[in-house]
Amino acid sequence: MSDHDTQSAHAHGPITRVGDIPAHDDHGHAGHDKHDEHGGHAGHGGIGKYLLVFVALCGLTTMSFLTYSPYWPWRNEPHVGWAFMMAVSCTKAMLVVLFFMHVFWEANWKYVLTIPAAMMAIFLALMLVPDIGLRNRMVSQERAQHMARGSDVRLMEQAGEAKVLEESAH
Amino acid sequence: MNASAISIPHGQHGHSDGHSGGHDDGHGHHGPVLQYQPGLPLTRGKLIMWLFLSTEIMFFAALLGSYVVLRFGAAVWPKPHHVHLSEPIGAFNTFVLICSSVTIVLALEFARANRAGIAKFWMLLTLLLGMLFLGVKGYEYQAKFAHGIYPQAPRGRIYEKPDLYYGSAVRARLGEPAIIDKLKELDDTPADQLSAEQVAARARLQQVRKMVASPEQQAFDLAVVADQVMPLPTEGPGGSHDGGHGGHASGLNDIFPWLRLPAVIPGGNMWASTYFLLTGFHAIHVLVGLIIFTILLFYKLGPKQAGKIENAGLYWHFVDLVWIFLFPLLYLF
Repeated sequence: MSDHDTQSAHAHGPITRVGDIPAHDDHGHAGHDKHDEHGGHAGHGGIGKYLLVFVALCGLTTMSFLTYSPYWPWRNEPHVGWAFMMAVSCTKAMLVVLFFMHVFWEANWKYVLTIPAAMMAIFLALMLVPDIGLRNRMVSQERAQHMARGSDVRLMEQAGEAKVLEESAH
Repeated sequence: MNASAISIPHGQHGHSDGHSGGHDDGHGHHGPVLQYQPGLPLTRGKLIMWLFLSTEIMFFAALLGSYVVLRFGAAVWPKPHHVHLSEPIGAFNTFVLICSSVTIVLALEFARANRAGIAKFWMLLTLLLGMLFLGVKGYEYQAKFAHGIYPQAPRGRIYEKPDLYYGSAVRARLGEPAIIDKLKELDDTPADQLSAEQVAARARLQQVRKMVASPEQQAFDLAVVADQVMPLPTEGPGGSHDGGHGGHASGLNDIFPWLRLPAVIPGGNMWASTYFLLTGFHAIHVLVGLIIFTILLFYKLGPKQAGKIENAGLYWHFVDLVWIFLFPLLYLF
């Protein structure tokens, strides 16, 4: 981490790993000349790059919205849509974190802060599974009587289709 | 970091534990020139912002994790249309937040390039976009409240299933003095003063009143009552869209807003708790972001303030990040 007590320690911008500069140059969209733009925080950013990320984010949002549209082919298999949307969301999150939050260009301290937090986050969710996620595996008879179930939805849908009142009103 | 952040030669900072120093510099009896090596190669403010964000990651992960676990452990969970969620509105809000993420990043870029005026413009635009997000969110909350969806009982009118408890709640509501007066007034209104829809709804309401009071009530009757009060749309998207609310305009509560009868949404109460908790905490974060932007607008947004803008931006991107997960989880799942 401290192998680059760098020329830019005085700058407020994120400190760049010198070895990494060429790595993000390979998008083929190098039309903008980011290296000359701001000497202080050498090499990252560039408005063109941000706009590219923006377009990607909009495209990805449209993609996840596609699951809602009538054109989505896996309408009867919701799990396909869920997996797809989570993949899209993770991609969007990565884009925001890497480019908008400049993490792509940060030094290795980024791992110290983000990986433990992310692991804690996953453990937190997993720890809820036995008590909360599986809470309906075994329930008391009384509770089973009063809790909502899929059959209630079907009952109401049947009631809607039956149109009992429309007929009797006439 | 600041003026004291002087770089030191390679290999020396590895053992900078206080006792070292005097033997390898050439400064004689003046002692070593102590050189400051920051623990992490980033500014103090940014370090604290990142530490704060790592706690925020865990905070929202706990909320989102609970939501996922509650949702998938539930016997039944309402579809977005059952609870009057409009996917296009959610997608619009996602778009607004993404735009605001870009504008704050542009504000930072222009502040670094010492173009304070343009930086301020982007900052102002970020503020406005954030306000737009909150405005849309408020509109959505209003739609929930109008349908009796609140996180808690005194105001919330959502029942889990069309059972006897639901029937007695409808009966109790219809027996309230104010409602009795209103119903009488409605019954006495000549048909030509009502729209065709209202006349038909009045006939259905009379049937519902008989049904909930009838001693020969069947279980299915209560489902019919619940369906009349606030139907659950059977159609998916692209189907029946009455104003984007999945055909709900035909419910008695919609046609006679003063009625406010209890309604049935299976799983609706747990849904409301999680929805308001998640979006509420997110909205609080948005609000804090807006306050930060407002404060920043009082500064000249040049390179001197770039650190502040960057930290505000980091926070704002995180808020955007949370919404990126909230939108599909709440609106599309």
